[in-house]
Amino acid sequence: MIAPGRNKPKIRAPRRGLNQAADVDFDNTWNTLAAAFTEIHSKNASKLSFEELYRNAYKLVLKKKGEDLYNRVSNFEKEWLSNHVKTSIYRLISNTILLDDESTSKSTVERRVAGERYLQGLRQSWQDHQTCMSMLTDVLMYMDRVYCSDTHQPSIFTKAMSLFRDEILRAEIKVQETYRSFLEILNSVILDQIRMDRDGDFIDKHLIKANVYMLESLYDGDLEAEENRLYLREFEPRFLETSAQFYREEGDRLLKESDAGTYCRHAKRRIVEEQDRCRSTLSEHTSPKIQTVVEDELIRNKMKGLIEMDSGVQFMVNNERLNDLGLVFELEARVDARKTELTKALQKIITEMGTNVNNAAIAASTAQPAPTGEGEDKDKAKGPGERVVNQQTVAALKWVEEVLELKDQFDNIWKVSFQEDQVLQTALTRSTSDVINAFNRSAEYISLFIDDNMKKGIKGKTEDEVDAVLDKAITLLRYLQDKDVFETYYKKHLCKRLLMNRSLSIDVEKQMISRMKIELGNSFTVKLEAMFKDMTLSEELTAGYKSHVAGLGEADPKRIDLSLNVLTSMTWPLETMHGVDNAESDKRMKTIYPPAIEKIKTGFEMYYKTKYNGRVLTWQGNMGTADIKATFPKVPSKDGPPRARTHELNVSTYAMIILLLFNDLPPGGSLTFEEIQAKTNIPPNELVRNLQSLAVAPKTRILLKEPMSKDVKPSDRFVFNEGFQGRFVKIKVGVVSAGNRVESDRERRETERKSNDSRGFVVEAAVVRIMKQRKELSHAELLSETISQLTSQFKPDVNMIKKRIESLIEREYLERIEEAATPSYRYLA
Amino acid sequence: MVVNKFQIEAALHAEKQEISAGRLKEDNPLDLSEDFRIFCEACRRSDLKVCQEQISKGVNINARDRFDYTPLILASLCGHYEVARLLLESGALCERDTFQGERCLYNALNDRIRNLLLSYDYSKSSDPLQPLAGHITSLLARDHPKTADLTLNTYDASFELHKFVLSARSPYFAAKLAAAPDSKSWKLSQRVPTQSFETAIRYLYLGEVSANLGDGEEEQAILTGIDKLGRQLEIETLFESIIEGGDRRKARQRRSEELNRGRDQLASWFNNNVLKHKMTAPIEKADDVKWDRDNGIFADVLLRADEPADEEEEEEAENEASDAPEVRRTEGPLNGIPIGNFSQSSRSPSQTRKQRDSVLFPVHRAMLLRSEFFNAMFSSSFREAQETPYLQIVPIDCSPRVLEIVLTYLYTEKADFPLDVAVDVLFAADLLFIEKLKQRAAVIISTLGNGTASVVEAENPRGETALEDVVDIYDVIRAGWDTRVHRLEEFGARYIAYRLERFIDEPEFAEIVRESAARIKGRQETDTVELIDDIRYYLSERFRLRFEDSGLDEMMDESEAVDSDMPQLPGKDVFHPDAILDDDDEAIDVRSGQTPPDGSGAAADLERLMEGAVIRTLDGEIAGDEFAQDAINYQILLGKIDTLLDNLALDA
Repeated sequence: MIAPGRNKPKIRAPRRGLNQAADVDFDNTWNTLAAAFTEIHSKNASKLSFEELYRNAYKLVLKKKGEDLYNRVSNFEKEWLSNHVKTSIYRLISNTILLDDESTSKSTVERRVAGERYLQGLRQSWQDHQTCMSMLTDVLMYMDRVYCSDTHQPSIFTKAMSLFRDEILRAEIKVQETYRSFLEILNSVILDQIRMDRDGDFIDKHLIKANVYMLESLYDGDLEAEENRLYLREFEPRFLETSAQFYREEGDRLLKESDAGTYCRHAKRRIVEEQDRCRSTLSEHTSPKIQTVVEDELIRNKMKGLIEMDSGVQFMVNNERLNDLGLVFELEARVDARKTELTKALQKIITEMGTNVNNAAIAASTAQPAPTGEGEDKDKAKGPGERVVNQQTVAALKWVEEVLELKDQFDNIWKVSFQEDQVLQTALTRSTSDVINAFNRSAEYISLFIDDNMKKGIKGKTEDEVDAVLDKAITLLRYLQDKDVFETYYKKHLCKRLLMNRSLSIDVEKQMISRMKIELGNSFTVKLEAMFKDMTLSEELTAGYKSHVAGLGEADPKRIDLSLNVLTSMTWPLETMHGVDNAESDKRMKTIYPPAIEKIKTGFEMYYKTKYNGRVLTWQGNMGTADIKATFPKVPSKDGPPRARTHELNVSTYAMIILLLFNDLPPGGSLTFEEIQAKTNIPPNELVRNLQSLAVAPKTRILLKEPMSKDVKPSDRFVFNEGFQGRFVKIKVGVVSAGNRVESDRERRETERKSNDSRGFVVEAAVVRIMKQRKELSHAELLSETISQLTSQFKPDVNMIKKRIESLIEREYLERIEEAATPSYRYLA
Repeated sequence: MVVNKFQIEAALHAEKQEISAGRLKEDNPLDLSEDFRIFCEACRRSDLKVCQEQISKGVNINARDRFDYTPLILASLCGHYEVARLLLESGALCERDTFQGERCLYNALNDRIRNLLLSYDYSKSSDPLQPLAGHITSLLARDHPKTADLTLNTYDASFELHKFVLSARSPYFAAKLAAAPDSKSWKLSQRVPTQSFETAIRYLYLGEVSANLGDGEEEQAILTGIDKLGRQLEIETLFESIIEGGDRRKARQRRSEELNRGRDQLASWFNNNVLKHKMTAPIEKADDVKWDRDNGIFADVLLRADEPADEEEEEEAENEASDAPEVRRTEGPLNGIPIGNFSQSSRSPSQTRKQRDSVLFPVHRAMLLRSEFFNAMFSSSFREAQETPYLQIVPIDCSPRVLEIVLTYLYTEKADFPLDVAVDVLFAADLLFIEKLKQRAAVIISTLGNGTASVVEAENPRGETALEDVVDIYDVIRAGWDTRVHRLEEFGARYIAYRLERFIDEPEFAEIVRESAARIKGRQETDTVELIDDIRYYLSERFRLRFEDSGLDEMMDESEAVDSDMPQLPGKDVFHPDAILDDDDEAIDVRSGQTPPDGSGAAADLERLMEGAVIRTLDGEIAGDEFAQDAINYQILLGKIDTLLDNLALDA
C-alpha cells in the first residue's frame, strides 16, 4: 500500500494546530458551547447540532483545556441553577407549607394543594435538570472519558447532580428567624402529605414518588456510596421518627378507645398500609425499616397492655374469640419469635383455670363427709361407704373430664388461632402438665377414671368411642410425672377388676396396656402384662384340675367345684386387698377351713405340686367367693302355704366359712363373735366386715345379731335367721367396702410411703447401673444422669438420690474418691 | 491432561484424512510463494514493517513454509515479542492441542512470549469478525435509536429489519428491494412457521443459528420452512449450517467461513452502494444536498467530510486554479494531507479544482452505531437525531479519505490503510470512540513506522533520511499521549532508543522529555519520567540483545555490572580505557563517521543485520573490542540522557 521511494509522504498529526494549544480560541469556543447549553436548558435543543458541539468540546479537551472546560461547565450549571431554577422554586414556597405542622391553622386541603405545588415544581426542575444534563453529557462525552477519568474527577453528570443538591436542595430560605433549606421543606411537605394519607385523604403518590426518586439518586458528599444517598441520610430518619411518633400516639389512643380485637385488626391494616406506601409512594428500601417502626410502636411496646386489656387474651379465651386470638398471635409473632407475652398470658390463664379444676376436685372430695348423713342411707341398699366411694369417683371423673376439656379447649385455640405454632405448643403442654402435676391426686384420679370406664363407662360404646376414651386417658398420662405412683394405683385397680371379674372387656384392657406400652415403655407394663398372664394360666389350671379330679374316679355328687386364680405374689398388689394392719396377722394366723373345703384345698395343692414343684401356695380367703345353696325352714307366708325356701347365695369365702359354722349348730343355736373367730381364725376386721354384710345389711340378713345394731362388737351373738326372706333365688352378698374408691388419707399415706420405698429401690438400681458402667463419676454427673434415667418413671427428688448414694456407700457398693478435685464416686465391684 | 503419543498421531492422521477428503480446511497449508518467504524471513528478523506490509498484502498468516514452520512459530522461536503480538493480532492461530499450536508454545523463547501465546489461545479469544457480527445481530434487538426501515409481518409476529442488511446478504431481497426501494412493510407467507423466519433472519444478521428448534413435528415443520426460505432467499448455506452440528473445530470453521462470507457480502455491497454513491460537492453547497429518505441504497444519513486545507492554500488554490496539484505537492508534506494521497486513491474525486470540496457519504445509522459517538448522537434529541424530509447531513471533522477508512472499518471490520493517514485515522477514531480502530492505527504506525529493519536503519545514513520522511516520531508520541494509546508511547520510546544517538542532541527531544515529565506530574506523584524510563529500557534491550544471542553469559554479567556502576568503567582492563576516554564526548560523531563505509558491505550479511547496530562500527576487529565498544556506547548514551535530565532540571 505504501508507495516506495523517497517521496514517501510523511505522517503528521492531522491538523497542525492540534498540538499548539495557543491556537485555540478557548473563549470563543466556550461561548459557542455556553450559548448552546443555554438553548438546551431552555428546551430548544432540537436545532442544535450535536456534531458541532461535540467537536468543540473535543477540541478543547484535546488541547489540554479539559480542566477549564470542566470548571466552566460546572460554573455554568451552578449559575443556571441558582439564577433560574432556584427562583422559580422559591416562588412556589408559600406560607402554608412553611408553617410547622402543629401550628397549622390552614385546612388540610389548602396545605395539600400548596404542598403539591411545591412538589410539582421540584419534580419539574429535577426532571428538566436531568434531561439537560444527559444531553450535556452526550456532548461532553469526550471530556468525561478523557479528562474526568484521567484526573479522577466525578463525571460532569454527577457533578451537575451534586450541584443541584447544593444549589437547590441546600438553598436556604428565611422563615421566622430561622433558615430552612429547600430540602427540609421538601421533607416536611412529604411527611405532611403522608400524614394526610394516613388520615385517609387522597394524595398524589406519583408526585411524591418522583421526589423520592430524586432524593434517592442524589448523594451526600461526592462519594456515590449507597449509604450516602440523600434519601437515606436526610429523609428516611425523619420519616421513621415521625412515623414512630404517629404510631405511638395512635397506639395509645386505640388501646384506650377500642377493644383488643379491633386494635389487632387496625395494627395489621397499618402494617400492610405502610408496605403499600413504601411501594407506591416512597422507596422499597424503607419497607423493612418502617415495618420495624410500626411493629415496635403498635405491637412490641403495646403487646403487654393489649394482652392484659379487659378485652384481652383472657376475654378472648373465655369467649372463644378464636379469630381475635389469631390476630394477637399474628402480631406477636411478627415482633417476637418466642411470643413471650402471649405465652406468659396463656400460661397464666391455663394455670388459673387448671387450679380452679383442681380446687373443685379437692372441694368435691373433702366435702364428702358432710352430706353423708348416717341415717339417710339406712334404707338404701348401699352402705354409707359406698356412697362416699361414689362421690369420690365422681369427683375423680369430673376432674379428669374437666382437665381434658381444658386441654381440648386450648388445643383447639392452638390449632385454629395459633397456626399450630411450635413454641406455643410447648408452652401449652408445659402449663397443662403443671396443672396436672400440681394436683397431688392426679395419678390416682387418672387410674380411677380408667377403672370407672373399664367397669361401666365403655358399656355399649362403639369401638371408636372406646378408642377416644383410651386416648383421653393416655393423653393425661403423658402429662403425668409420677408415673410410678400411677402404676401402683393402676395395678391395684386392675387387680380388683380382674379378680372380681368386673372388667367389661378384656380386649379393651389389653388395648389399654399396649397403648401404655407405646407411651411409657416396656418396663412400665411388664407387671401388668404378667397379671393378665396369671389370669390365663389360672384358667388353664382350673380346667386342668377339673379334668384331673374327674379322672380320679367316679364323680362325687357332693363334690365342691373349685375355680381358682394363682397369682404371682410379686406382681399382684395383694396387700391392697385387705386391710393394711392385718397384713402381718395374716401370716400368723392360718384360716381354718371347714373339712370339706380343706379337702379340696389339699387336693388342689397336691395337684399343683405335681405341676410346679417347689412353689408355695398361699390361700387368700379374703378374695374368693363361694356359691352355696342355703335351705331355710318353711315359714308361713301371707298369701299361701308355707314352703321351704332355698336360696343360692353368692358370698365371700370368709362368709361361706362363717355360714358353714351354723350348719353344725342345732337350730336356734348361736355363736358369739369370739367363738366364730376362734373357730375360723379369720382376721378380726375381715370377720367384722363379713358379719356386717351377713347380719346388718337388710337385704342379705342371713344371720341375726344380738343385740341388733350397726356395729359388730366382740360380744355380739349371731343366730341363723330362719325367717330370712329374699325376693330372688339367687342372692349376692356383698362384702362391705370391697369396691374401688378413692383412698382414705391413711391409705394414701401408706401408698406414698410404699411408693417412696419402691422409688428408693429404683433410684439405687439406677445409680448402681450407671456406676457399674462408668466405674468412676463425679457427683454432679451421677446426679444428672440418674435424673435423666428416672424421669420417664417419676420426678426424682435430689435429696432422695443423695440419701440413696449415702446408703450405697454404707453398703460398700460405692466409695468416695478421696483425691478427686470434685466430689466423685467409684464403683466397687 | 497428557495425551499419549499414539493418540496424537492417530488424531493427526484422522485430521489429514479429513483434509484430503475436503471435509476440513487445513489450518496451515503449505505456501511456497515468494511473498510468504519474505514474510517468514521478516518474522525471523523481527522486521515489523515488512511483516505488516505482507499481512496487508494478504499473505496467509497461518500458512507454513517448506520446513513446516509457520510465521508464528518463527517469531516465537526467535523471541520477537512485537512480531508475535502483531501476528496474533492479525489473526495467527495458536491453539493448544493442535500440532502447530503446541509447537509455538513449546518453541517460545521466553516466558513473556509463551504467556502472550497462551493469552491468545483460540479457545479464549473469539473470531476477529465477531464484533462486527455481534453488532449486526444486536441490531435485531435494538429499538433505540430506531434504525430499522422495513417491517416484515408473519401471521403472529413482526420483525423490524434493515433493508441494507437484507439486500447485502440475500440476492432475493436485493432484487425485491431494488424493485421497490420505498416499501415499508411486507407480509410474509403464512405457510412458513415464524420460527423459521426468525432463524433465517438471525442467519442473515450474522447471528449464530442454533440447531435446537423444539422437537418432533414442530421441528420438522420449522426445518422444512427453513429449507424453503433458504432456497427462496438464495441463502443455501443456511440449511446446512443448521443441520451440521458436531465437532467444535468444524463448527468453528464453518462459522468463520460464514462470517467471512457475510463480511465479504457486506463489503462488496458497501463498495458498490455506499462508496459508489458518495458525492463530491463544493464546500459551500455541500449542505444543500438533498437526498430522499427512500433512496436506492437505503441510506438514512449523510456524512460529510471536508477536504482539509489551510487558509493560504485556499488562496493559492484560487490564484493558481489550473495548477493546484503542484501547489499541493509542495505544501503537502508540511501542512496537511499531501496531494499524492489523492492521486493514489483511485476512489477519491478529481482534485483539479480550485475550491475545496466536501464529500458526502450516504450511510446507515445502524452501522454507525458501532461508534459511541454516533450512538450518543442518534440517541440524543439534538438536530441529528430528528426525522427530516431529506437526509440529515452530519459533518465529520476529518478528511474524506479518513472518513472512508472509518466507514470501511465500521461496515466491514477491514482496517488496512497506509501509514500516511494512520495518525489521522487514529485521531478520527479517538474522536468517534472506535477503540479497535484506534488500536489498529497504532499497530500500523508502530509496525510500518518502524522502518525496514530498524536496527540497521539506525546505522544507515541513507536510511535515516528516508525515516525522517516516514514518521515524525515526536508527533507520534504526542498523538499517543493525546489519544491515550500506550502502544504508541512504547513505540516512540523504542524508536528513539534504537536511534538515540540521532535524537539525543535535538532540542525537540529535550522538549518532548519535558512534556513527558509534565504529563506525569500532572497525573501522579511519581518522580520518574516515563519516556526516559522507556527509552532506557529499550536501550538496554538494544545493547544486550546481541550478548544474549551470543550466549556469552559472563559478558552479560559484566555489562550489567557496568550498567549499575558506571564510574568503575574506566578501571576495567578489557575495555581499552584509553579509547573510551577519547571517544567519550564525541561518540556519536565518531560513529557516524565510521558507519558509512561499513554500512554497504554489511547490508548483505543478514546475520549481522540482526545484531546490534554498533557492532558493525568495529567490524573486523577482535570480538572483545566489539563488546567493549557496545558497552561504551551504551554508557555514553545513558550519560547523555543524564546530562539532558540535568539540564532540564528533572530528577529521574
